[in-house]
Amino acid sequence: MDITAKPVLVKRTRSRFQLGLSARRAAWGYIFMLPTLLILLTFRIIPMIQAARLSFTNYDLFSAPTFTGLDNYIDLAKDPVFHQSLKASVLYVTGSVVPVWIISLLLAMLILRVRWFRGVFRALIFLPVIMSQVVVAILWRFLYFQDGAVNTILGYFGVPSVRWLTTPTTALISIIIIGIWRAAPYFMVIFTAGLQAIPEEYYEAGKIDGTNALSEFRYLTLPLLKPTSLLVMVMSVTVALKVFAVPQLLTNGGPAGATEVVPLQIYKTAFEFFKMGRASAMSILLFAIMMIFSIVQIRLFSEAGE
Amino acid sequence: MKMRYSQTLRSTRNGITSVVAYTLLVLAAALAVLPIVWMVLSSFKQLEDMFVVPLRWLPHPWYFGAYPEAWAQRDFTRYFLNSAFVSICITVGNVFLCSLAGYAFAKFRFFGRQFFFLVVLSTLMLPLEVTMVPLFLTVKQFNWQNTYWGMIVPFIADAFGVFLMRQYIMGIPDELMEAARIDGMSEFGIFTRIVFPLSRPAAIALSIFTFREAWDMYIWPLVIITKEDLRPLTVGLALFMSNYGTIWNQLLAVATIAMLPLTILFFCLQRYFIRGIVLSGLKG
Repeated sequence: MDITAKPVLVKRTRSRFQLGLSARRAAWGYIFMLPTLLILLTFRIIPMIQAARLSFTNYDLFSAPTFTGLDNYIDLAKDPVFHQSLKASVLYVTGSVVPVWIISLLLAMLILRVRWFRGVFRALIFLPVIMSQVVVAILWRFLYFQDGAVNTILGYFGVPSVRWLTTPTTALISIIIIGIWRAAPYFMVIFTAGLQAIPEEYYEAGKIDGTNALSEFRYLTLPLLKPTSLLVMVMSVTVALKVFAVPQLLTNGGPAGATEVVPLQIYKTAFEFFKMGRASAMSILLFAIMMIFSIVQIRLFSEAGE
Repeated sequence: MKMRYSQTLRSTRNGITSVVAYTLLVLAAALAVLPIVWMVLSSFKQLEDMFVVPLRWLPHPWYFGAYPEAWAQRDFTRYFLNSAFVSICITVGNVFLCSLAGYAFAKFRFFGRQFFFLVVLSTLMLPLEVTMVPLFLTVKQFNWQNTYWGMIVPFIADAFGVFLMRQYIMGIPDELMEAARIDGMSEFGIFTRIVFPLSRPAAIALSIFTFREAWDMYIWPLVIITKEDLRPLTVGLALFMSNYGTIWNQLLAVATIAMLPLTILFFCLQRYFIRGIVLSGLKG
């Protein structure tokens, strides 16, 4: 009413100042945006450019960096320790991400299916997400301990006690289990939102056509959920590629490098061996891997949909 | 007739599926919660009761000594307060700056707006794990190693927050701001007294999301903080674990205290936690 009439009035009476006014408004836009832009430039974008630059040097934190061309990358390509680290990351990602997709989607569908205690279930299942990574590491180290709860419970079923964190394969599996434990509830929440966004009419139509639960899932839910699934895939791979605290605190990358994922090796290279140039090259490669994963997933997914 | 037949069929099917659904959900909830309950209960056990077979859930006897004993080893109060201070500063700064920038991108027309917005969004793809080495060098140039500044300032703005606040503020009608302008309110006043209060739901979700990540911050303080009295709880806890790794009841006692703030916050503001996660899905 009144409110909508006012701007029109202003435009008419102050038309002479219109330019000055809009320029002043624009200036406020810049002022409001500026702090954020400066912080992101200083602490995100410029460091990224610097990482690219440092990756061509042998900077060691103590003497001035000298340009060494592609040496860091060539070294990494030949270095078995780095290969092992890539292998650990790839195994961790593939091992954790697929179960996370399946479990989180299943949980989301279950949560939406039940009528009672929906909120209670969601809250309880969500709890691992709010635990900080260090607490999660301590908690699971306690569970995986030689005489810990996991072995005791397995013992009830006659399984001999497992040395979880001290053999290469079991150490990796242990860390993957923790990753699933913490990531599945997170993506359950995102899948729940995605499922709720599917209009009820689609299912009504499906019911009239007499579809069963399985084909309903295959031909209705999955295609309609595609945007959410894509998002979960990209996010979960990125999250898994960034894992650091849990392997650092549980095994510190061991045994024999089995759990030395790329971020952990970057950390060690930079802050234990002070090879900043080499660590930067590894960071750039990690970034490239993240990008490739995301692009491939988006590609595969849009092709599969056609 | 046919209709009714299919209906009964469906309701029996639903009956069976809901039994299965409840069973699976109870199982999932148990897997999520029981490890945490086990940790909390074990923090009240005596060291020699830690690994008794068969498993005994409740401490016998209840032993509350692990808490003061852990506190006697390290100044966990200090670590806790450091974490609280840093997390609160990051949260307040992040919500304030992101709302301000979100408001600029949502409601102002200025040259290069789209470009700057893309610049902001591009940082979504630059995780700390990728930029930590040069970020460390940057912060070192500022002489911010071993300062609160170094832990706080790099994180008081982020692309996700800007995106989130912009989306929300776009939904606020322009007329409200125009009316305030005519009443002679300053541009900053319009932000603090009209735009910000109206975007409260988004701001709360963003604060909780930010606080959770700030409280969880580990790799960054590990890199730039070496002074004992500046350490956040995460780093203090990690060091405690590497030095006292088998004094389990003390370790679990500190871990229990460390998870307390977020757990309390979660049970009070669950809705906003969930919303923050859902919205984090929008950024992809």
